[in-house]
Amino acid sequence: MELKSKLRQFLPKETPKKAPPQRTVPDLRPILGGEEVETPWGPCHVVEQDFPLDHSWGNLQLGEAASVVYPEGLARVGLDELPHFDLARTLFLDTETTGLAGGTGTYAFLVGTGRFVDGRFVVKQFLMRDYNEEVALLYCLEQELRNSQTIVSFNGKTFDIPLLRTRFAMTRMSFLGVEQHSQIDLLHLARRLWRSKLASCSLTSLEENVLGFTRSGDIPGFEIPQRYFLFLQSGNGLLLRDILEHNAYDIISMAVLMGVINARGMYTPADCTCPWEAEALGGIYAGAGRITSALAFLERALCLAQDKEQQVRLLRTAALLHKRHKHYAAAAELWHKLLSLAEDDLMAHEELAKHYEHREKDFAAADQMTRRALAIALRQRSPKVPELEHRLRRITNRRQRVG
Amino acid sequence: MSLARFKEKLETDPRLRGNVTFRYTIPAAPGKYQPIPDFVPQELRALLQNRGITQLYSHQAQSLQAVHAGRDIVVVTPTASGKTLCYNLPVIQALLENEETRALYLFPTKALAQDQVAELMAWSDELGGRIKTYTYDGDTPGDARKAIRSAGSIVVTNPDMLHAGILPHHTKWIRLFENLRYVVIDELHTYRGVFGSHVANVLRRLHRICEFYGSKPQFICTSATIANPAEHGQALIGRPVTVIDDNGSPRGPREIIFYNPPVVNQPLGIRRSALLEAKTIAHELIAAKVPTIIFTRSRLNTEVLVTYLRESFHRLGDTAAKIRGYRGGYLPSQRRQIERDLREGKVLGVVSTNALELGIDIGTLEAVVLTGYPGTIASTWQQIGRAGRSSGESLAVLVANSSPINQFMVQNPDYFLEKGAEFARINPNNLYILVSHLKCAAFELPFRVGERFGDIDPEEILEYLEEEMVLRRVQDRWYWMSENYPAVDISLRSASADNFVIIDTTDGKTTVIGEVDRFSAPMLIHEGAIYIHESQPYHIDQLDWERQKAYARQVETDYFTDANLAVELKVLDVSATNKLPYATLSWGEVMVTAKTHMYKKIKFHTHENVGWGEISLPEQELHTTAYWFSVPHAIQETMDRDALQSALLGASHVLGNIASLELMCEPADLGVTAQVKSPFTGAPTVFIYDRYPGGVGFSEQLFAAHHRLMDRAYSLVSKCPCPSGCPSCVGPADEVGPQGKEYVLRLLEEVMGSGAQKQAAPISAERNA
Repeated sequence: MELKSKLRQFLPKETPKKAPPQRTVPDLRPILGGEEVETPWGPCHVVEQDFPLDHSWGNLQLGEAASVVYPEGLARVGLDELPHFDLARTLFLDTETTGLAGGTGTYAFLVGTGRFVDGRFVVKQFLMRDYNEEVALLYCLEQELRNSQTIVSFNGKTFDIPLLRTRFAMTRMSFLGVEQHSQIDLLHLARRLWRSKLASCSLTSLEENVLGFTRSGDIPGFEIPQRYFLFLQSGNGLLLRDILEHNAYDIISMAVLMGVINARGMYTPADCTCPWEAEALGGIYAGAGRITSALAFLERALCLAQDKEQQVRLLRTAALLHKRHKHYAAAAELWHKLLSLAEDDLMAHEELAKHYEHREKDFAAADQMTRRALAIALRQRSPKVPELEHRLRRITNRRQRVG
Repeated sequence: MSLARFKEKLETDPRLRGNVTFRYTIPAAPGKYQPIPDFVPQELRALLQNRGITQLYSHQAQSLQAVHAGRDIVVVTPTASGKTLCYNLPVIQALLENEETRALYLFPTKALAQDQVAELMAWSDELGGRIKTYTYDGDTPGDARKAIRSAGSIVVTNPDMLHAGILPHHTKWIRLFENLRYVVIDELHTYRGVFGSHVANVLRRLHRICEFYGSKPQFICTSATIANPAEHGQALIGRPVTVIDDNGSPRGPREIIFYNPPVVNQPLGIRRSALLEAKTIAHELIAAKVPTIIFTRSRLNTEVLVTYLRESFHRLGDTAAKIRGYRGGYLPSQRRQIERDLREGKVLGVVSTNALELGIDIGTLEAVVLTGYPGTIASTWQQIGRAGRSSGESLAVLVANSSPINQFMVQNPDYFLEKGAEFARINPNNLYILVSHLKCAAFELPFRVGERFGDIDPEEILEYLEEEMVLRRVQDRWYWMSENYPAVDISLRSASADNFVIIDTTDGKTTVIGEVDRFSAPMLIHEGAIYIHESQPYHIDQLDWERQKAYARQVETDYFTDANLAVELKVLDVSATNKLPYATLSWGEVMVTAKTHMYKKIKFHTHENVGWGEISLPEQELHTTAYWFSVPHAIQETMDRDALQSALLGASHVLGNIASLELMCEPADLGVTAQVKSPFTGAPTVFIYDRYPGGVGFSEQLFAAHHRLMDRAYSLVSKCPCPSGCPSCVGPADEVGPQGKEYVLRLLEEVMGSGAQKQAAPISAERNA
C-alpha cells in the first residue's frame, strides 16, 4: 500500500482540506500600511504609528501617562526595585503568538512595542509574514531592546518574556534579547489594586472599569493563532488587520494604565474616591510595614464603604493591625464597632475576651465575652469550641482566685 | 543450615513433595577480576578504595575500556553484578575532569530514579558536593526546576518526562544539551513493544536536539538478560552498540524449583490458588529462618499475603514483626529501614510487587518465592536474582497458577533454562507512533528538507502533515503550524492515545480505578457490564462514549458478564507468505471490525446463563497487522463443521497465550480470531493480530516463529492433565465442547504435518541452538 494512502486510512483527518498553501510572501503595505524592512537576516514587515500626547484613551489622554513622576508610585504599589527608571528608555511590549502552550513550537509572529519619544507615543509592530522571517523580526526587536532598560508588559513575566527568551535562544545567535532589562508586569500591579473590586483583572476589564472605554470589534485572543494560520495559507493581509489593531490597543492601554497605577501609588487617603482602592492601598501599605499609612487608608475606605460586608472586613483588618502593633485600646474599640455591625462575629468576641482577660484584667467582662463567643461557636459548629471552653474554665478560675 | 531444613521439609512433607515438578541447581561461579584501568584518575581510585574496591569485575573493566574508547555500550549481566559502576565511573570521571560536563540518566520508573540519586549523593558527598545530581520528574517542585536546568550535572529522569517536559522546552536546558557527554539508560529491556517503540522515537528526538546544540553524547545502557541486546540496543538508540555480557561477578550455587499447585476442580482445570501455595512455602522458609522475598503480581496480593503470613505466624504464637510489605512508592528511608531489619534478622519475610524486580537493592536474601510466572523469562531471572546476591547458597521457587502460560512453563522447564531470555522487539517505524513523534520533533525544531529521523527519510510523512495543515513548509523547512503542544496528547505507556477510564462512584467517590483501550471498551465496560478490578466486582452504570468515561459502582454479585464480540477481519495487504507442505502462513495488513451486540450474565462457579442484555455501541475498526495460517483442506474430510469450529476456537485460545509468551507481551496485546472458511485464503484460518493500531512488529515475528508456536501449543495441550479442555490449555470444555481438546490436537497435527511430535524437536531446536 502507498504510504500516503496508509496515512490517510490510519489517521483520520482533523480538518477538511483547504486551498493549497500560499508560498510567495505577500506585499502587505497596501493593506496594513508600514513597510518591508531589510535586515542582515532577510526582510520582515514593520508598521510604525505615532500618537500625539493629547490622544484620548477612554477618560484619559496618553500624555497623562507621560507627565506623572515615575517610578515612586509604581514602587509603592508593589515593585521590589526599579533602578534607573527612565521613561524614555522604557519599552512597552506585547506579543501575538501561534498558541498559548509555550515550548519551542510556539512562535511570536507579531511583536508590538511602544515608547514615549519627543512628545509622541510611537507604536512599532514587527510582523513575520512567514516562519522564515522570524530571525529578521527578532533582529528588529533587538534594536528596540538595545535602546531600552525597562520592559513593561501585561502578564509578560509569565508569558511574553519567557517566550521571547525561547525564540532568541532558538536562533543560536548572540542576540542580547531580554536578559538585561528590568521588568514591570502591570498585571501583577493591577491585581494588587483591583483584585477585590473587579471580578477579572484582564486588560479588557481594566479598560472598561479603570480607563473607561470598551473596545468594539476586537478580535478575541483565542482566535488569533487560527487567524494567523489562515493568513499564512491564503496570503490575505486583511486577516491580520484586526490582530495588529488588537496588539496596538494593548500597547497603548498598557502605557496609559501604567500612568494610572503610578498615580494611585502616589494617592493620599483623601485622594481616594473608591472604597475598594482605598482598602487595597491600605493592604499594600500594611504588607510593606507602613502601619500608619495603612490605617489611614483603611479609615478612608471605611468612610467610603457602603457595603456592610466590606465594612466588617475593614474593621477586622484594622483591628488586627492595631493589635499586631500593640495598640490594644484602639483594637478593642474597633472590635466593638464591628460588633455593632455584626453581632454574631466570632472573632470579635474572641478577641475582646482575650483583651478583657489579658489586658484589662476585667474577668467579669472576659467571662461574658467568652460565654457569648462559645454560644456562637456552638451554633456554628466551629472547631473553636474546645478552646473556648478551656478559656472559660480558666477565666472562672482566675475570677475565683481574685474574688 | 536453615535452607537445608526447608529442603528437607520439601522432600519429606507429602503435601509439598508431590507438587514439585522440577528441580535444578545452577553451580557456583567464581568471580573474574581485572585491575582498574590506568585512565581512571587517582581521586576516583581512592573513592573506590574507600568502598573496598581495589579491582573490578571483568565486565566492569570491559565497560570502562569500551566507554573510554568512545563506544556506545549495553551491559548485560544479572541482577546484583555491580552494573551501576559501569556508568557511574565514566560519568564521575568526566565530571571531575570538567565540571561543565552533563549526563542524563533515564530510568523506567521514579522509584529507580530516586534510588540512583541516593547512590550518587553518596559519591558526591565524598567528593565535597562536586557532583550535582537531581531527579527531574513530575514531583519536582517548580522552584527547584530552574536550578536543575542550569546547574544539574547529572539529571535523573524518565522517558516520559524527557518526552513531554524536557525536549519540547529544550531552550531552557541549553546548558544540559550543549554539554551532554553521556546518556545512561538503565533497564533497557523494559523498553520493548509499544513503550519501547515510543522511547526509540523520543531518543531520535533527543539526537536531533543534541545535534542542534553541537553535542554528541555517548550511550551507556544496562539490561537484564535478553536474547538480542545488540539488535535491541541499536534499534532503540539508533546506533550500533558494543555488548558486554561476560559476567565477572561471583555467585553461589542456586537451586530453582518449579511448583505446580494441585488441581482442585478437574472439569474447569482450576488449581489451588498460587497465592495460598506461595504462602505455605514462604511460611516454611521463614519458619526455617531463611530471609525470603515473595513476589506477587499486584499490590492487592501483596497486602493479602502479608496479612496471611502474619496470621499464620500469630496462630503459632510467634508474634514478632517478621513480615513486611514492600511496594512501589516507598521512600528510600523506609527501604533502608527494611534492609537494616533484614540484616539484623528483625524482618525475615518481604512481600513485594514487581516494583523490586528492577534494580532496587534490598540486601541479603536467601530465598525467592514467585507467585505466578512473572510473564517473561527476563523478569523471572531478575526476580530470582534478588536472592543470593554475592556468594552462599540460595533458592528460588516458582509457584505456578492456572493460566496457560504458567502451565506451559512448569511443564517445560527446559524452555526456561535453555532459551535463557526472550527477544525484545520494537517497531519505531509504526506509523502511528512515528507520526506522533514527528509532530513532536517538528514542534521542537523545524525539519530541514533532506533531514533524516533515525533510519528513515520522513519527507513523505512531513508532506502529509503539511497537507493536513499541521506543518507549513517554507523554502527548505517545515515548521509547526498548530496551537497544540503535541507531546501532551501522546502517552508513551498506554497502547493508544484514546483510552477509556473507569471511574469508581461508590459512596460519592470519583476515583479512577482503571483504563481500557477503545477497542476493548465495548467488550469490557458497556453499560451493565461487571468489571472486575483487584477481585472486586464493579457494575458499569454508565458509559459516556464521547468523553471516554465509564462510571462504575462496587457491587456484590454472583455473576459476571461476557460480551459477544463479532469480529470481522479483512486482509488488506500481504507482506510475506510461506507455503509449507501442510499449511500456508502469511503476515500483512488487516482491517479488524468488531461489534458487540449483546452480553450474557454468567453465574460464578456453575457458569449458568442467568440473563442477558443488549449493547448498542458503535462498531470498532482497527487497522493493524496480523499473522495467519490456514489449515489444510484435508482436515474437513475428517472433521465436520462443528468439530472444526470447536478446534479453531480451542486453537485460538492456546495460540493467543503461546504467542504472548513468544513476544514478551500481555495476552491482551493480541487479538485472535478464526474463520472456518476465510474469504481470503478459502480455507479454515487462524489470525493473530496486533491490538495496537498499525502494529508494533508482532505479526512479522510470529510469522517467523510459526513452527515454534505450533510445537509449543501442541506440547501445552497434550501435556495438560485435564480430561477435555480447561482454561490452562484450550479453554473450558463448556466452551469448546467435550471433544475440544482432541480436536485442537488433531488440527495442530494437520498444520504441522502428521507425525508432528517427532518432527517437533528438531524444528524447535533450530533457534535455540
